[in-house]
Amino acid sequence: VAKTSLTSPPWPEVKLPDPVEEAKYHAEVVQKVNGLISAGHYGRLFAVVHFASKQWKITSEDLIMMDNVLEAECGDRIRMEKVLLVGADDFTLIGRPLLGKELVRVEATVIEKTESWPKVNMRFWRRHNYQRKRIIANPQTVLRINTIEIYPCLS
Amino acid sequence: RYVRQLQRLQLLFSPSAADARGARQFVEEAAQDFARQHPDVVLYVSPHSGPGPAPVLRAEYLNGTVREELIASKTSEEIVQLATKLANQSGLDIIRIRKPFHTDNPSVQGQWHPLTNKPSILTVQGPRLQPQ
Repeated sequence: VAKTSLTSPPWPEVKLPDPVEEAKYHAEVVQKVNGLISAGHYGRLFAVVHFASKQWKITSEDLIMMDNVLEAECGDRIRMEKVLLVGADDFTLIGRPLLGKELVRVEATVIEKTESWPKVNMRFWRRHNYQRKRIIANPQTVLRINTIEIYPCLS
Repeated sequence: RYVRQLQRLQLLFSPSAADARGARQFVEEAAQDFARQHPDVVLYVSPHSGPGPAPVLRAEYLNGTVREELIASKTSEEIVQLATKLANQSGLDIIRIRKPFHTDNPSVQGQWHPLTNKPSILTVQGPRLQPQ
């Protein structure tokens, strides 16, 4: 049959590698990463955490502000679950969609609970003599991420 | 390690004014409980007799900012809530914050620039780069 422009799809054809070889390769990579983690050959760790309906990319010693009220008092240590991704200089651990709790530990402290700056909420209809003015100050919490730790329990 | 940013709370009121009733009730009932719950905050109560300025709760923070809140014609519970709110704050100005996060080290694996993840130009074989 003659080859026309529509016989093969326009994207380049990709050949998948052998599944047995793939499994061996995976095991080797996992062992290497486990060895690196247990030996402690990583510098700064960063993590992507789902918190307060938002995803944050956090490292240690950095500040985060929420637009809500947490039930913890000022100075409480909080452990964040729902970690999506953890990375270091040479390797990254990607979760589907979350990583296990035995793998990662993210700790944070509540620093302050303030209110936001006073925002003006005004409603005005023209030619109807209707205007309402209201000042809103949302409560906010500021967290500082203390540590991100990983443990070598990959499989 | 957590350090509370509030240094001291000064309660200025006059015992004979009518609008300082909430302040007087707060001092009688809730001031001791508040001081015990926040042991690292110093609470000063200074009544000035006679008709003077309006009753005020002044909060001083570790970075020097002083914040005054009026407590005239407020009940004791409202003053307690105000005091806890001031105690949980830090002394930064309450203005619009542009970013809700702050990092000192924003990039761990190196910041992305348009030349990452692209093959290098040196390995390209072209008609001119072949040795002659």
